[in-house]
Amino acid sequence: MVDYRIDRRSGVATYVQIVQQTKQAIRLGLLAPGDKLPTAREVVEATAVNPNTVLKAYRELEREGLVEARRGLGTFVRRSLGAAPADSPLRAELEDWAARARESGLEREDVAALFTAVLETHYPERAAHAAPAHTPQGDPS
Amino acid sequence: MTAALTAPAAPAARPAGVPRQWRWLARLHRSALIGGGALVLLTAAALVWLGGPLTDASAAAWKAYDACGFTPRCSYDQSAILLYKDVYNYVTFAVLAVPFLVAAWAGGALVGRETESGTASLAWTQGVSPARWLASRLVLPAVLTVAGTGLLAALHRWAWETGRDRIDTAKFWYDAATFHANGIVPVGLALAGLAAGALAGLVLRRAMAALAAAAVAVGVLWGAVHAALPYLWPSVTRVTALDEGPLGRGLHVGEGVLTAGGGRAAAPCLTSRMQGCRDTLADMGATAFYRDLHPASHYWPLQLVATGILLAVAGLLTYAAFRVLRRTTGTTRG
Amino acid sequence: MTVPALEADALGKRFGRRAWALRDCSFRLPAARVCAVVGSNGAGKSTLLALAAGLLAPTEGTVRVLGAHPAAARPRVGFVAQDKPLYPQLTVAETLRMGADLNPGRWDADTAHRAVAGGDLDPGRRIRALSGGQRTRVALALALGKRPELLLLDEPMADLDPLARHELMGLLMGEAAAHGTTVVMSSHVVAELEDSCDHLLLIGGGQVRLSGEIDDLLAAHTRVTAPAGADLAPHEVVESRTTGRQLSAVIRPSGPLPDDWRTHTPSLEELVLSYLRNPTAPAPAPEILEAAV
Repeated sequence: MVDYRIDRRSGVATYVQIVQQTKQAIRLGLLAPGDKLPTAREVVEATAVNPNTVLKAYRELEREGLVEARRGLGTFVRRSLGAAPADSPLRAELEDWAARARESGLEREDVAALFTAVLETHYPERAAHAAPAHTPQGDPS
Repeated sequence: MTAALTAPAAPAARPAGVPRQWRWLARLHRSALIGGGALVLLTAAALVWLGGPLTDASAAAWKAYDACGFTPRCSYDQSAILLYKDVYNYVTFAVLAVPFLVAAWAGGALVGRETESGTASLAWTQGVSPARWLASRLVLPAVLTVAGTGLLAALHRWAWETGRDRIDTAKFWYDAATFHANGIVPVGLALAGLAAGALAGLVLRRAMAALAAAAVAVGVLWGAVHAALPYLWPSVTRVTALDEGPLGRGLHVGEGVLTAGGGRAAAPCLTSRMQGCRDTLADMGATAFYRDLHPASHYWPLQLVATGILLAVAGLLTYAAFRVLRRTTGTTRG
Repeated sequence: MTVPALEADALGKRFGRRAWALRDCSFRLPAARVCAVVGSNGAGKSTLLALAAGLLAPTEGTVRVLGAHPAAARPRVGFVAQDKPLYPQLTVAETLRMGADLNPGRWDADTAHRAVAGGDLDPGRRIRALSGGQRTRVALALALGKRPELLLLDEPMADLDPLARHELMGLLMGEAAAHGTTVVMSSHVVAELEDSCDHLLLIGGGQVRLSGEIDDLLAAHTRVTAPAGADLAPHEVVESRTTGRQLSAVIRPSGPLPDDWRTHTPSLEELVLSYLRNPTAPAPAPEILEAAV
């Protein structure tokens, strides 16, 4: 079961937090395919967020093919997220890179800043945007 | 779950029941009901005591006193006479105070406190429409008021009648306090007070202000009705000779002299047996004295007309209260 | 779309001969929304809610509630006034029983009891002996137990501690989620409503300053930081301030912005404050918001 924790100060839109935390739970195996997500009512009673926010997050998860809504039954996990298992080649490369960074004398904060900068470039989800009529969260709806 | 959210605002058809507000009205005003009931019962008990043992004791004392004639040493129960008189005055006062108490309670506790604190709006958003709310707050108290006031007035009349010809100092029927307490005027006055209290509570939205306004309204109404009382029914005229002076017992309307020309004039003095008066009367050409009055047989017509006026006022005040309520809450229909 | 939960057209209310408490208010709240009514004290929030609850008659204009006259809609509307009026002589249990008796056929005892359950309330306690927060619970229980389609709450959370606030807000959201209840709640603390509400009604000086879906409103505005002296035209300016060599402003862009301006989407609180600080800032035309959807 997921226990959503909404951090109002994070600057991340609430529905994005729900999406991220659901994915995290799937990644960590807390939610397996076939598992039922908490109902919107359960989520909002625990978090006091707007019901439509929860629905928006669930719709986003459904759009990504991670969950499916079965009418009258609830929302169920469809597949697992195994994108970064411990033995993936990507992880080995990152390990390699981190070791080299350390050898070249970079501090922990330097590495984190570097990584975040690269992450922002390739995953610009939360970056400032210039286009005015663009929704802040990049919501396609 | 999610289905419930995407297809909202479709509550199952529910039976449109009528709110059960009567017992809550009684519950909310339980202490007033108990207090008011106790007051009525106590006064009723006092009236029964007055009309029974006290009247008998006082009548016996008067009989003994009258039997004494001019004997210097006379033994009679003076304390019984005084006790009767005191108790009579107190209970008459109590009966006449009821309309004031009803008005003050209606303005203060029944309506004013609810509009002041906002519990009236609570009721209006809890399934009781404003009109129903006001109606319940008028009907139940009105029934209890009529029952209570009616009982006291009837007992007062009974107590007065049992002592009428047996107690020498018993009040005449036209004595102001006795006249009202013996009849149905207190009932009409109490109902008008109830309506005045409700209206004041709705308009002023302050319990204390509404309490005071309603009590004052009852005072003013009563004063007005009392002032108008002699003119509420055609009076009879009694004509008496110049040496007799104006005569006749009852509720006075007016008196004076009749002149040779058939006109009426104010009486300069009251008997032609005195020289000065005789001359004055002769100078004005007076032929007789007259007195306009209501005999005892006019008691019920006067009571009925006065009460009718009070009930009409109560009706108008009630109508005004519903109008005010409808205008402030914007309720188009009851 | 179904009937709007609340619809006002040129709505105005004046008390006696005094100044207008509310004037020329027009807005539309779709059903199944959680709407924040925000504004400074005395802005007219309570008047608006009382008009919607059918407790006051408008001086001019109209308000329709669930598609009906407010008085006709009253049985389907729950209302909690700012000072949480209750009968002080009743006990908590009696108050809830009264709610059941006054709303026959509608009363949901379960929900009502859940609202008071969290408050460590003795059902035999008289209302007059309760704390402000406990009274709020009982008042909310009465309004929720009625199972309304529209719930109007005037400053509902003012007397509650943060824990109770979170719990009761959760309960409200749960009701909204389970039954599609439209919730309208006023507050002068924007932050406490940010996560729970999806619709905003900003009232200032007796008028509607902003009205719409919060996401749309935020998307239609941009917080910019530009060099001092930068020309903000032709964009509509809500607020602008120059500090040293820097100009910061909240604008409604009407075209692309220069590349050297830094831009952010304002938070709800920033947006509301920028409008409250600038009473003369123009309200966006409804078309702009529609276009942003």
